[in-house]
Amino acid sequence: MKRMRSIGTFIKRIWSHKQGKIGIVMVSFLVFVAVFAPLLAPYDPYDVSQRAAKGLPPSRQHLLGTSISTGQDIFSMLIYGTRVSLIVGVTSGVCIAFVGSILGVAAGYLGGFVDSLIMRIVDIMLVIPTLPLVIVLTNVLGRDFWIIILIFVALGWTGLARTIRSLVLVLKNSNYVKAAELAGAGRWHVMVRHILPGTSHLLIMSTALSSAGIMVAEAGLSFLGLGDPTAISWGKMLADAQSGGALLFGAWWWILAPGLGIFLAVFSFMRLGIVMEEIANPRMKQTSSVYKIFKSLDSSYIEEVFNSMDDYEQIGVIESAGGGETHETDA
Amino acid sequence: MKYTYVIKRILYSIFVFAIVITLNFFIPRIGVDDPAERYYPPQGNMSEIEYEIIKQVTRQQYGFHVSTWQQYMNYLEGLSRGDLGTSFRPGSPSVSSLILGRLPWTLVLSVSTMIIGLIIGVLFGVIAAVKRGRWQDTMLLNASTIMIALPSFFIALILSFYLGFELEIFPAYTDPNMVTQFSWTLESIRRVAQNAALPVLSMVVGSVISYAQGTRNAVIAVTNEDFVLTARAKGLKQGTIRYKHILRNSMLPIVTSLGMSISGLIGGQVVIEQVFNWNGMGTLFLEANNSNDYPLMMGIMILLSGFTIFAILITDLVYVLLDPRVTVGDKR
Repeated sequence: MKRMRSIGTFIKRIWSHKQGKIGIVMVSFLVFVAVFAPLLAPYDPYDVSQRAAKGLPPSRQHLLGTSISTGQDIFSMLIYGTRVSLIVGVTSGVCIAFVGSILGVAAGYLGGFVDSLIMRIVDIMLVIPTLPLVIVLTNVLGRDFWIIILIFVALGWTGLARTIRSLVLVLKNSNYVKAAELAGAGRWHVMVRHILPGTSHLLIMSTALSSAGIMVAEAGLSFLGLGDPTAISWGKMLADAQSGGALLFGAWWWILAPGLGIFLAVFSFMRLGIVMEEIANPRMKQTSSVYKIFKSLDSSYIEEVFNSMDDYEQIGVIESAGGGETHETDA
Repeated sequence: MKYTYVIKRILYSIFVFAIVITLNFFIPRIGVDDPAERYYPPQGNMSEIEYEIIKQVTRQQYGFHVSTWQQYMNYLEGLSRGDLGTSFRPGSPSVSSLILGRLPWTLVLSVSTMIIGLIIGVLFGVIAAVKRGRWQDTMLLNASTIMIALPSFFIALILSFYLGFELEIFPAYTDPNMVTQFSWTLESIRRVAQNAALPVLSMVVGSVISYAQGTRNAVIAVTNEDFVLTARAKGLKQGTIRYKHILRNSMLPIVTSLGMSISGLIGGQVVIEQVFNWNGMGTLFLEANNSNDYPLMMGIMILLSGFTIFAILITDLVYVLLDPRVTVGDKR
């Protein structure tokens, strides 16, 4: 009951934030479009038999024109594409938050063997190039919708687990956790009741940001022709546009429409994520939110910088000049 | 103390590489009893007996007739000789020769993207950090969130459409003659530069943003350090502090992370190479994927992961050995 109320106030605070309001409106709009796609789409997007309507530019009949090769209505395809993007993105985002939080809390709180095992797995996943690995896995496991989500989750939890772990290491030494432990609370109780709630703001934020990241990745995969072949997705539309001669015949609407779809979806989820970060963590406004985006999206660069910094904390002390004596030197 | 750490770190890298190699060995074997099935999936028009014969031949040719453990040993033994295996292409070329043929073309794109991105990115990042909170900084922040939501292949398509097809400034598709008729003449190099312009341009955008953000945050982090405060307290000039204290110290993490970022760049470059039909490792990887050429795919994966591991190792060691502020403490 209490938990429910706090989530309610959280949403209310996002709503009162100007950028947050935009994010919420945009995301709800996308969800609306995805749910009511069959009602909103003026034509059947799967209908490839419209010989007469091939390659029409945008007009009143076809708001965003039609495709050159098959005469499909681009506007209807755009609407249906929302479904794939949202389902793959949000499902993977939620699952990543779930897996990442469990493994991150376990690694941080239990320590010892569990910690080193999970962190070694993270290290190994980090060095394997992501996109090629995703491609190989789709080749081995198949290109079904759910398998693609499974692959994204299996590869996507590492960054979050790492962040959660470092937060848990701080929480572990906080007074309320110590008090709970002294009162005789079991490990499981402490992890679920005391540690996990402390990471909740990070989880909600990461769900929004990793959903955005997965949407980009899914679009890339379908663009390479490696997504679910039966579904209409924005990435696949772009691939069809390229192979169907949209560039050659100047069918700009065919390229622009799916691109704008991807942009809108990713942008609105990202906005929401940034606002959540600012609300949950007002001290870190400005600097940290963008770090987080880069960490949770594909950018390898910032992540590497971060990881190397994390490693320092493990191997030793970074003493700033004039920082004085540290505990390490005493010991 | 430092040297024990160095040795430990090297051993750990070898351990990670061994795990990666093992994973690469087992991934194609997931879900099938006989790897030959994975390598040659049954075709629709093939009779049972025909397929059995083909599988038999495949087993013999690629050494699948021995036990899995023996195959694994052979694989490791081959790798130790630098032999990444044999491709399934007609004529059975070695994987390493195929990769070596494409590697330079891939590096042309990734290295030039990195250099251009680094120069512009660091410049923007420093400006944003110095003007923190002012419009330059806000602009960088907004540009970042916008550019991140635009996938690089979409930017590539737009550039290819507008600069390639409409204005015809740069070739929209890679000219096949670029590779076949390449020689070290000025004419030939100019042709490579022309063909590389659009792919590089479409990747540079994201690269600039990420380097700019990295630089900005690094510079701000250093600005908050105590030694900068000390320098201010000593009454040094603003310019001296900015260039000698802040910039110099914030460049270290950026420069050392370059090596690591290149492998990620190549991985992400797969899509861009596909858009422009660029003759690099990315298209090689996709070709391998389309023909189920697992030895080739795994070879590329091993190369990229090995490179990342090596780059991370070197970066760590350089830090520990060069940066006086990093000391290797007790493991507690």
